[in-house]
Amino acid sequence: MFKEKYKHMIDQVHPGDELLCGVLKSAHISSKRKISFFYRPVAAVIAVCICMSLTVPALAAKVEPIYKLIYTVSPGIAQLFAPVQKSDEDNGIKMEVLSAYIHGNVAEIYITMQDLSKDRIDDTTDLFDSYSINRPFDSSASCQFVNYDEKTKTATFLISITEWKNKKIAGDKITFSVKKFLSHKKNYSDVRIPIDLSSVTAAEDTKNVNAMGGGGKDYERYTNKGKATVLKPSEAIYGSPVDDIGVTDIGYIGGMLHIQMGLGDRLKKDNHGSFYLKDVNGNTVNCNCNIYFANKYEEQGRIDYCEYVFDIPREEIKNYTLYGDFNTSDMLTWGNWRVTFPLEQAE
Amino acid sequence: MLKSQSLLKDDCADNVIKFYADMVYRLAFARTGTKSDADEVFQEVFMRYIKKQPVFENEEHRKAWLIRVTINCSIKLWNSAWKRKTEPLTETIPFETKDDINLNNELRQLPKKYREVIHLFYYEDMSLAEISQALNRKNSAVRTQLTRARALLKNMLKEDFDV
Repeated sequence: MFKEKYKHMIDQVHPGDELLCGVLKSAHISSKRKISFFYRPVAAVIAVCICMSLTVPALAAKVEPIYKLIYTVSPGIAQLFAPVQKSDEDNGIKMEVLSAYIHGNVAEIYITMQDLSKDRIDDTTDLFDSYSINRPFDSSASCQFVNYDEKTKTATFLISITEWKNKKIAGDKITFSVKKFLSHKKNYSDVRIPIDLSSVTAAEDTKNVNAMGGGGKDYERYTNKGKATVLKPSEAIYGSPVDDIGVTDIGYIGGMLHIQMGLGDRLKKDNHGSFYLKDVNGNTVNCNCNIYFANKYEEQGRIDYCEYVFDIPREEIKNYTLYGDFNTSDMLTWGNWRVTFPLEQAE
Repeated sequence: MLKSQSLLKDDCADNVIKFYADMVYRLAFARTGTKSDADEVFQEVFMRYIKKQPVFENEEHRKAWLIRVTINCSIKLWNSAWKRKTEPLTETIPFETKDDINLNNELRQLPKKYREVIHLFYYEDMSLAEISQALNRKNSAVRTQLTRARALLKNMLKEDFDV
């Protein structure tokens, strides 16, 4: 009795659309800035103005644009960043390590990428998984896009390195290198896929594949020792919401609706997306799990797939429409940028 | 390449957030009792997720991590000096029925540590062992909290609900 009543009550509790969109947006830009920052824009602007007015004038003559940027994001730590200013240039693009802040076993480093001749750097520039950090200690690292300056065609990134064994890392040297980057990325949200779901039938052909990953509450139910049964990918595309991404098969397996997304050039361009359903009232229904696999590895003609599994009975599927969010990239730029610099503790 | 049994990196963060949004928000609401606090905790939990990009052995591991971080963020929020000095906002969820409103009001009378156990047991259908693992508490402590929470609920709700 209590359980049903409690469930009825708590089922009405949801995060607001604005709140959810804000968090999803942060996931896209992977910003370190707290979301609450944009929830209190007036307070934030006032705080930044106060901090700028108190601290910037004294430094104004020497302050680089990046310091102004750090001040706007985190005034409290801006002065702790020590200048590095070492750069490398290749293919008409300059990479510069601007400044670093070492505290304990963590190093935070700002770098910029500037296109000196063309328009290959933009506000969607993504170092992808093509950057590498050589350091003489075991560590984990991440690289986040921070800002883009249109006038100078410069993108700024923040690299965070954490040593695993909790030792201080000041005094070591690291080499940061980049071999390629993506730019001119496009983000498509809430795209309706024109497929008549009422005509979906039981899958005619299935395939046992090696799952490369995935997730969702039923992921483990659908995989056994890394194997999963999925729809056999068709060569035909049932619906292609954006270039390089399409629906490659759709059907029921064991009473569950499977919708398969084919992703061309995924490794080169990081094309990715997600499918979800909407009912007649516009409510979103997410998949119970998704499973990643590919037709081949490290070879020409590789196509990546992501199969989405929904728990919607066949007799009810006519009440749903397929939607998706997608991300693609138009430009992949190659080069060889490499900077070695010491990790010095800020004074 | 994606690591096995894990939703990793940017392309999957969306899926994870969408999938666990309700779970995190409802637990935050159950623990804090107000919409504004739940909003704050919700943001903090997923900001930590985005920033840390933790790798999990399986979905149960991910779920347990999100539950633990939600509770930790709720406690941290409540313990903050700012929070102690401010009046709670009256903004709340527009529940459908009077029973829902009354039940919510009664639950807010419970100690916070009991509310989270009640929520995980009755709503997330988690066993005592799962709750103790997720909250990093002893099994016996969780059992005691649940027993006391039920007793308080019975006393508060009287004949209205069979707890």
